[in-house]
Amino acid sequence: MSNTLRPYLSAVRSTVTAAMCLENFSSQVVERHNKPEVEARVSSEVLLTPVVISRNENEKVLIEGSINSLRISIKVKQADEIERILCHKFTRFLMLRAESFFILRRKPVEGYDISFLVTNHHTETMYKHKLVDFIIQFMEEVDKEISEMKLSLNARARIVAESYLQQFS
Amino acid sequence: MLIDLQPSNRILEEALRERFNGEAEKLQLKVADFDGVKYRLSTPESKTVLNISMAMRCFGELQRYGADAVLRREYGDMLESTPESGFDVTVRVDLQNLPQDKESLVRKLSLLKRNALAAPFEIAFNAQLEGRDSELMTIHYRDEEAYYIKAQHDRVTVIFSTIFKEETDRIFGKVFLQEFVDARRSPATQNAPQVLYSPREPPMELRGVPGVQESDWVGYVTFVLFPRHFTGPAAEGCISRIELFRDYLHYHIKASKAYMHSRMRTRVDSFLKVLNRAKPEQPDSQKEKKTASGKTFKRS
Amino acid sequence: MSHRKINVDQYDDEDAFVDENQTASGPTADSAQVEADVNSRAAEVRNYLSRGDVAGAVAKALENPPAGRALQTVKDRNTATVMEALAAARSTDIINIVKGLSTQQMDILMKYIYRGMGSPELYNSAILLTWHEKATEVGGLGGIVRALTDRKTV
Repeated sequence: MSNTLRPYLSAVRSTVTAAMCLENFSSQVVERHNKPEVEARVSSEVLLTPVVISRNENEKVLIEGSINSLRISIKVKQADEIERILCHKFTRFLMLRAESFFILRRKPVEGYDISFLVTNHHTETMYKHKLVDFIIQFMEEVDKEISEMKLSLNARARIVAESYLQQFS
Repeated sequence: MLIDLQPSNRILEEALRERFNGEAEKLQLKVADFDGVKYRLSTPESKTVLNISMAMRCFGELQRYGADAVLRREYGDMLESTPESGFDVTVRVDLQNLPQDKESLVRKLSLLKRNALAAPFEIAFNAQLEGRDSELMTIHYRDEEAYYIKAQHDRVTVIFSTIFKEETDRIFGKVFLQEFVDARRSPATQNAPQVLYSPREPPMELRGVPGVQESDWVGYVTFVLFPRHFTGPAAEGCISRIELFRDYLHYHIKASKAYMHSRMRTRVDSFLKVLNRAKPEQPDSQKEKKTASGKTFKRS
Repeated sequence: MSHRKINVDQYDDEDAFVDENQTASGPTADSAQVEADVNSRAAEVRNYLSRGDVAGAVAKALENPPAGRALQTVKDRNTATVMEALAAARSTDIINIVKGLSTQQMDILMKYIYRGMGSPELYNSAILLTWHEKATEVGGLGGIVRALTDRKTV
């Protein structure tokens, strides 16, 4: 299973890089408004075909592009209820701090655990290749963090049980 | 990482130690303990007579299981036959008539809660050691949680019902309790009491007992104690430890949540650092510039 | 005040956006014809596979993809055919098969790779990831961009 990790991340990297061609575009529908078209979804001609890159049924990335914005939604691996609750807590923790993350979306897209929204404003002020690097690193580290939290929980549980019950001998 | 939950109340201990070894003074001190138990130390009569009162929601039930006799045994004449108003137990200490060994008395007094709760355990242990069964004793020591004790011919069973208020607590609790259940497989704890865990459904022993609920938020932990765990001197420690089980478990669940929180905060900080590297360096707006004649100035 | 609620775009045909996907034209327009086409192609692909000619099967499967929104079931059937061909390839052969495709075929391939990954419960994503890796290697980011921007979806 782990030999699909490299191709999975590299497919995400190439697709995100390709989709991150963004330019400023004022709204066609409302005068003097400028909003991320991928969120507004009012004019179909400025939207790109959404694509999914999946590693398996439980891990996938949805990339929705448009002329001035890009939405990247990630479904994180959650093999059991412990991983599920840890993932939920972690993504919620991150989304509460969406403002300091600028590219993080406050709510995930339906069916996914966390979403990013990159607009032309971001690509105008930050290096694109570094943004892509960030997304990929993020995906790797979220998985790692959840595994480590689960391991530490199990280790603590073992010590807690042992030290309590040892007192009875 | 591990705190050692003590059966005695630390605050009470320290306050008493101070009173016993210091000048007589007027005192009114309110102290709280786990499970909603409250104490009050006061000197209503005179500066040299200290009243220690305890309020405990399940005291009525404990009285049915012989708590009065146990307390009388432990505190002798110091136990007041009528507790102070608003409290369930009052112990009266004459500061001018303290025994030689003040420390032991301090310790004994700070075990007031533990001793009150010990009564049903003592009944069960005595019953088992005499080869008898006992009735199923119920103690509602907390708002929505209770424990049940029953002696049988070869064992004493203690069942805790515990409530998990959040999904996280429930899942973390399950992980911890599974380790308790599995502990006997390891050589260090193979002689420990057997632990069984049943999420949602009450175990067989509690069928038909009033107030026993079945829900997603409740869990039942059963301790099976064998004679070696409570014969002779082992009994005292056994009782103290079992009484503290629920608080020990929930303390560690909270500690785990706090640990996860601090891990996540660290991870978020590291993400932000990486993200900020995506920003190009600010143009050197504060850089020092030099003119042809050699004067230096800062460009704003 | 109701004149503010009128959608002027429906009355102004000049610059109206024509979604090509909805109005497929040319040889892919007639749905009965397309269906027959897809079915016969499925049989031919299977033929190639039974003869062990995976490269030929892939090339055949990528011919004339059906377009147009009304043809969803037909498109799904064609996707299944393409997936069958792709899955038959040995991972070491993939790079060579890809190199043997024209740019047009590679663009269609890329569209199908994404289409397949969109249904991980039906198709093996691991194989598709390998195909994606090789297709990007040969076709570069341009292939991906064309897959994202082309209105004719598979």
